[in-house]
Amino acid sequence: MPHIVTDNCQSCRFTDCVSHCPVECFHEDDERLYINPDVCVDCGACIPACPVQAIYDVVDMPEDKEPWIKVNAERSKNLPVIMSKQEPLPTAERRRTELGL
Amino acid sequence: MNELTKKTEFFGGCPHDCPDTCSMIFNVEDGVVKGVRGNPDHPMTRGGLCVKLKDYEKRHYHPDRVLYPMRRTGPKGSKQFERISWDTALDEIVSRWKTIINEHGPQAIIPYSYLGHQGLVHGLNGGDAFFNRMGATVCERTFCGEGSCTAWLLTVGPTAGVDPESYIHSKYIVIWACNSVSTNLHHWAIVKEAQRSGAKVVVIDSYASRTAKEADWHICPKPGTDGALAMAVINSIIDQGLVDQDYVDNYTSGFDALKGRASERTPEWASEITGVPADDIRKLARELATAQPAAIRIGVALERHHGGGQTIRAVSSIPALTGAWRHVGGGITQFPVWEHPYKFDVICRPDLIPEGTQVVNNLQIGRALLGELDLKVPIKSMMCWNSNPVTQAPETDKIVEGLKSDDLFLVSAEHFISDTASYADIVLPASMGAEMEDMILSWGHLYLTYNAKSADSPGEAIPNNEIFRRLAAKLGFEEENFKWSDSECLENYVDWESPACEGIDLEYMRKNGFARLTVGTKDDRAPHKEGNFPTESGKCMFEVPGATNFVAGPFRQMYDDLQPGEPLDPLPDYTAPRESPATNPLLAEKFPLNIISPKSHGFLNSCYANMEHKIKGQGEQFVMISAFDAEARNITEGDRVQVANQRGAFKGVARITEDVNPGIVVATLGYWRQLNTGTVNSISSAEFTDMGHAPSFSDNLVEVTRTN
Ligand code: SF4
Ligand code: SF4
Ligand code: SF4
Repeated sequence: MPHIVTDNCQSCRFTDCVSHCPVECFHEDDERLYINPDVCVDCGACIPACPVQAIYDVVDMPEDKEPWIKVNAERSKNLPVIMSKQEPLPTAERRRTELGL
Repeated sequence: MNELTKKTEFFGGCPHDCPDTCSMIFNVEDGVVKGVRGNPDHPMTRGGLCVKLKDYEKRHYHPDRVLYPMRRTGPKGSKQFERISWDTALDEIVSRWKTIINEHGPQAIIPYSYLGHQGLVHGLNGGDAFFNRMGATVCERTFCGEGSCTAWLLTVGPTAGVDPESYIHSKYIVIWACNSVSTNLHHWAIVKEAQRSGAKVVVIDSYASRTAKEADWHICPKPGTDGALAMAVINSIIDQGLVDQDYVDNYTSGFDALKGRASERTPEWASEITGVPADDIRKLARELATAQPAAIRIGVALERHHGGGQTIRAVSSIPALTGAWRHVGGGITQFPVWEHPYKFDVICRPDLIPEGTQVVNNLQIGRALLGELDLKVPIKSMMCWNSNPVTQAPETDKIVEGLKSDDLFLVSAEHFISDTASYADIVLPASMGAEMEDMILSWGHLYLTYNAKSADSPGEAIPNNEIFRRLAAKLGFEEENFKWSDSECLENYVDWESPACEGIDLEYMRKNGFARLTVGTKDDRAPHKEGNFPTESGKCMFEVPGATNFVAGPFRQMYDDLQPGEPLDPLPDYTAPRESPATNPLLAEKFPLNIISPKSHGFLNSCYANMEHKIKGQGEQFVMISAFDAEARNITEGDRVQVANQRGAFKGVARITEDVNPGIVVATLGYWRQLNTGTVNSISSAEFTDMGHAPSFSDNLVEVTRTN
């Protein structure tokens, strides 16, 4: 019952989440991050760290986010792991404003 | 620096039985705890908690919480209770106890507690002074790590060893029998950091735990054979000429004898026993000796089989052989608590114990209640707090039978009607973490941790220590310690004058929430660079002539009489498990599989295993089994199975996996008996291991059958 990254992370990719994570379970592509459900320990440390509220605990999330469980599981398997905080994408601040966060 | 500015935030310390002892921040609104988060300033907590504690406030206000004193109205175990007042409850307890004391003497009463709360005031030893004053039977409490303590104290003395934070400097890290990802998460984060800087991480575990899967190298000995592996590593270090002879000559004792003993414990010999290839053993020995600084983190599980103590003596000898102690981040870590300056004699008041008082070990409480032990005085009453033996102790069917007896008067101070409290005659509502002031001991780091009273208790719950204060007053105990407030206890329980507390006092703790003990920093601490072991000789003791078995004081109310006392082998060696196909083929004919029962990732012992969303996260009781063993039993994925042996049985769902080898099954601990059919400890033996009366939770044979 892991945590997942959802749509809010799109074209944003602030990586504050990564620096709060005690294990290495975040994987990245050009758009966003994905959590490897087999490695995530469900500690919840990343949730408050994410400035755009993109991360949910699967046990406790809105129903419309459910498709993201599969996306995280599948995408994380084939993408490189990201181990430390990175520069946000250039679009990041705009995305945050768009989301009203 | 760390001072909280908002009045609504309070420093907390996680009181649970976990080495991490996280520093927390409670967010309180209108006197109600609204949320909790990890203290971002604490170098180990680093702002994050864990899956268990991240919504700790929900546990405080759970609808099933016990809010009022209650008296049993139905048959024992029926969970039918009626609300009574505190005065009635305490009067009834005192009057029952007085009758028992008149008839049988005070030893007919036994306290039963453990680390369900790790506070100095409300935790493990919180009731010791009270029961010592009463003259009750002394309860020896050896759930977890006490055999390890005995072995550690004999070999290197009461040292904290390598600072868990110093692992950042290690180049080679061996995690031996510890599923850090689930049970030592904040140390794991440091290990991962070291790994990113180039350290090799080796995990030794009898199944592919979550931690083992993250390692650079997983070594997988058969359950209970780690001692053979350790002896062969010693053999191979010597054989490959990798001994740091200068270190050995100056700072150790008994090398020649150890060398003699190890000479026949070859990698080939160990390979037969452990199933680990001999070349892998040689490689482990070589890397441990040459990749310095090398650090070994042993887990509690290492002691959980017949030869557990001997295993830990062997493993804790290794860093002195290789000279790893010379380096920051080199050596071995057991429990850093040895350098925490607590005054256990003041907390426990062993001076009040009447001479010759009998001792009952908590793992054998079932046997004690059923009259199977040779006791001077039979047990007629038990008070249980901070502990839940019906799920956590072995031979649980016996415990349940004992608790059902009308002859036993059981008092439980609890948060919930646990599997044990279900049988209580009187249930007392106990305060939870955020509701009482305390300092939380840590067996996983070198910080003092403060916990503020951040909110009032719901209903009529009161802190454990207040329960004992009230009982002491009713029994007329005059000693001043029974009148100390919780704050006064803290003033008296910590040795604030010790060198480790330089610049730290209770005011500092209140202001800052935590304090690093002054025992070196993570960047310069190398406590045994030049020996200086806190043993009698000042040396690391490979050989301990005349050693006898004992349980460390804090785990037996600081009582030093009637210790186990049997002579121990002066040297480390391999002692085989009692129950394995190799050592007990007759038993293995009926029960061919070895079971391991680690802690559940989503529960903390049996805590949280009654909360719906935690059960949802953790999933139902499962039994991990290899495809080979499953097929032989006609078991398919998801089948209901029964796990049984001569002691009892429990049920779970089969999970067929490559994470366990044939011959082994894994089922995690903590699930409640009242919500399941039996629990893993239904099958566990209450026999002690070789040292410190440690439990043999990993030394049990079972058979698994399909039930659907
Ligand atoms: S912090 Fe949030 S938005 Fe940023 S990368 Fe992590 S999940 Fe995505
Ligand atoms: S819940 Fe914890 S382990 Fe999982 S992704 Fe978030 S920080 Fe990492
Ligand atoms: S259980 Fe352990 S890891 Fe979790 S909050 Fe408590 S001390 Fe920290």
